[in-house]
Amino acid sequence: MEKYIHPFITVCEDVFRDFVGTKLTAERPYISSRNEEHEWEISAIIGFTGEARGAVVISMKKEPALKITDILTGHAHTDIDNEVIDATGEIVNIIAGNAKRGLEETFKLIISLPTIVRGKNHRITWPGESTRIIAIPFKIFESDSLCLSVAIESITGA
Amino acid sequence: MKNVLVVDDSQIMRNIVKNSFAALDIPCRFLEATNGKDALNQLEENKIDLVLLDWNMPKLSGIEFLKRVRDDERYTQLPVIMVTSEAAKYNVVEALQAGATDYIIKPVNEQKFREKISKIKL
Repeated sequence: MEKYIHPFITVCEDVFRDFVGTKLTAERPYISSRNEEHEWEISAIIGFTGEARGAVVISMKKEPALKITDILTGHAHTDIDNEVIDATGEIVNIIAGNAKRGLEETFKLIISLPTIVRGKNHRITWPGESTRIIAIPFKIFESDSLCLSVAIESITGA
Repeated sequence: MKNVLVVDDSQIMRNIVKNSFAALDIPCRFLEATNGKDALNQLEENKIDLVLLDWNMPKLSGIEFLKRVRDDERYTQLPVIMVTSEAAKYNVVEALQAGATDYIIKPVNEQKFREKISKIKL
């Protein structure tokens, strides 16, 4: 499962550099539990089907989500509104779509439309009971952070 | 003045696509649609010269929109550029086989549009 993670890390860094104009610094990945307590306030989720199943999730607190949306829209945001939801969903969409290129030799994937979950300590329902969730924390905007979580398993034996 | 139809379910992305395309200094008027179904209606109601088309959208996806458009003899020559995050080669092949004029992978910028638009007669 870990061999599938690298394309997501690379693409995440590239997307934030090229789309948001911001450098991400990856920290040590870890195995996340399904019921882990967390501090994130918004998560954007894309599901995978096709020759593998799983999901990619990007989670962050309110402040970096607002800053990212400010950059993409050119005006300030003070709370999580429809534009912040739109921006967060589009970022995970671009990450998922571009990560498919790095996985295309392994399996063909179909990605879902993004889903947004918000609120303190919100819960995400992950597909598959046994698939491990790899979480990769990133530093952004010097003092903020976000987390990219990926769970993906082949259903073709690849 | 050319009519350019920007089809994407994300308002932010529609604005970014419009801004990137506008930097090419091609005299145009932008029309917008939030999904393929909406885009089909726009085609019926307006003379469209170019479609910039996302793939993953609710109600009717970009690829299904493209197939319907190419099945309609009125639109066989209409330039349709996919503008999508779907970066896998098999997606590019599917879109081109379905009749896409060209393919741009998000994130977009002015340079990507400049390269593709130079190949199209608008």
